[in-house]
Amino acid sequence: MKRPVRVGAGEKLVLTANRLLDGTIVWRDRLGQWQPVIGAAEKLDAEGVSDVLDLAQARAQADGVVGVYEVAVRDVDPPEPVTVRERIRAHGPTVHPEFAVETVQ
Amino acid sequence: MSVPVGHYQYDQVDRDFLEARIAEFSEQVARRIDGSLSEDEFKPLRLMNGLYLQLHAYMLRIAIPYGTIDSKQMRMFAHIARRYDRDYGHFTTRQNIQFNWIKLEETPDILRDLASVDMHAIQTSGNCIRNVTSDEFAGAAADELVDPRIHAEILRQWSTLHPEFTFLPRKFKIAISGSPHDRVAARFHDIGILARPGDDGRTVFRIFVGGGLGRTPIIGQEIFDAVPEERLLATLEAIVRVYNAHGRRDNIYKARIKILVQALGIDAYREAVEAELAQMDLEHYRLTPEMVDAIQARFAVPELSAPDNAAQELASKRRENPEFDLWVRSNTHPHREAGHIIAVVSLKPAGGIPGDATSAQMDRLADLADEYSFGELRITHLQNIVLGHVRQDRLYALWSSLKEVDLASANIGLIGDIVACPGLDYCALANARSIPIAQKLGARFGDASLQAEIGALRINISGCINACGHHHAGHIGLLGVDKRGEEFFQITLGGRAENGASIGTILGPALPEDDTVDAIARLVDRYLGIRQKGETFLDTLDRLGDAPFKEAAYETV
Ligand code: HEM
Ligand code: SF4
Repeated sequence: MKRPVRVGAGEKLVLTANRLLDGTIVWRDRLGQWQPVIGAAEKLDAEGVSDVLDLAQARAQADGVVGVYEVAVRDVDPPEPVTVRERIRAHGPTVHPEFAVETVQ
Repeated sequence: MSVPVGHYQYDQVDRDFLEARIAEFSEQVARRIDGSLSEDEFKPLRLMNGLYLQLHAYMLRIAIPYGTIDSKQMRMFAHIARRYDRDYGHFTTRQNIQFNWIKLEETPDILRDLASVDMHAIQTSGNCIRNVTSDEFAGAAADELVDPRIHAEILRQWSTLHPEFTFLPRKFKIAISGSPHDRVAARFHDIGILARPGDDGRTVFRIFVGGGLGRTPIIGQEIFDAVPEERLLATLEAIVRVYNAHGRRDNIYKARIKILVQALGIDAYREAVEAELAQMDLEHYRLTPEMVDAIQARFAVPELSAPDNAAQELASKRRENPEFDLWVRSNTHPHREAGHIIAVVSLKPAGGIPGDATSAQMDRLADLADEYSFGELRITHLQNIVLGHVRQDRLYALWSSLKEVDLASANIGLIGDIVACPGLDYCALANARSIPIAQKLGARFGDASLQAEIGALRINISGCINACGHHHAGHIGLLGVDKRGEEFFQITLGGRAENGASIGTILGPALPEDDTVDAIARLVDRYLGIRQKGETFLDTLDRLGDAPFKEAAYETV
């Protein structure tokens, strides 16, 4: 998952991970806390992302998350991931609408 | 029922081992949670216990040795689905079951629950010899020569935690069948074994090596035609040792035995195995008739007896009820014993998710197994469930009960019997979703009479090149590819896993999902238009090549 994320026009980056205890997908908010809804995620510019990413990765164990990485999103509210994969992570599996994940708190 | 029919009966040694293993893993989980193990340190440990981290949660893969379980074990799956997951499980093409919404902290409890019915998740991941698969009709089919489960169990015991083979260059998959009709895809395994009776009454084995799907699909080649029973373990040991010594560990895409067999050539590989055998202590590996008989004794044999008129009863029910008749035609297989029949329960309802079953369905299947088939169930490599020993005069009652829980789809071996991997809805490695397109195709061809009219036609779908859905082996194969973050599907035609195994060839450029469904529909229409009487899809394809299908598929694109 280490390929660099391309950021197109009108796009931003958000940080994501899985919660260690139950695997729940989480998004990093502007206070550095991990939230289960993408609507809470802090949108970052391509230039600023690597510092925040390094910090978040360094704190992953203390924060109880695994596999921190960045995701390209359209700069709207709530942010909408650019790829199908990340849209499925943000919204839940498409084949079980009853497990849909909220995107705002 | 004290001794289970169809699978091996654990003893105290087996149970003590499992208990120790769970205690060890509980400790590792605790150390991961408190931070004394990092994710990098923990990952190989959890994988050794069948625990993956997928897109949305942890996934636990539970081994079902040679695909056979008893009703108690099936009820335990239902319990796990209800208590620890979201009320369903997914049966896989390697005859295992996966749960998709598992919590790390609850995993030790799940493993304890599993151990209480003699089950575990060991060797379902990692670079070891994986769960040995076998014929879903073992011990029941009329066309069977040898019940392969006895030797499958021997292989399970030989490979489980084999000290030399827990860190192979890559994962290693073995399948064994005892029928002239290959129902295990023997030529698509690292080692595929076909058992048959030898002249002296003991079993002999034809062995293929170096088959596999994935990134580089290769058909296994015959390395030995007739290995005597007493040499079986020595021979397999030598095959795996040659691989272990020479397999490439530097590149995971080249690490499978298939690459080594291709590089050396089958003759040189055979020579290397023979050289290894020549210096092994063969006595140590000798599989004696006594050893085989001792394992056999741990399997209970069903006591089959049916009334004389069982076959007439079945025939008259079929005449009375055309819907039942259609189901019998596609979903049963001849049994070796008069008055009996093998029933295949489809886990592919039209528009449903291939291989998924709810806890209620699992519980019901367990009850039906108790009622109709000696409490025994088999999971097939095509993601369905088999009740192996049903009395013919009771088949109608079984079918009626299956209907009540939406498990009576009449589509085994037909276009609705779609094999699909979890794909991008769950899998962290996927390029595309496999399930939605399977659901659309299943719904499009849902009608049972239409499916019967189309005849034998297998669709296999994988969400990426790892080929978990065996797309290379599908008569029609679909492979999900990623085009700038969007899902596309590549169509292949002409794959087959049975006797005369072959790899499908790519039809043309990949299409978006909806276009793919339409393309398949046109392609099937074209087949119906050009087939000669009695031809299956593969027959027509063999006769005419893929040009007419290509034309149909890309007609409007
Ligand atoms: C969702 C979690 C899964 C993951 C992460 C996963 C991962 C993989 C990977 C990495 C490979 C390629 C290995 C190689 O080429 O050496 C593979 C192959 C395979 N997997 Fe899966 N898989 C998953 C689910 C499944 C399921 C659900 C099935 C059954 C339906 C399955 C059955 C297979 C089979 C049969 C192969 C092909 C083996 C061969 O190359 O001969 N896997 N899997
Ligand atoms: S084929 Fe690819 S997408 Fe499908 S389960 Fe295997 S690894 Fe995942």
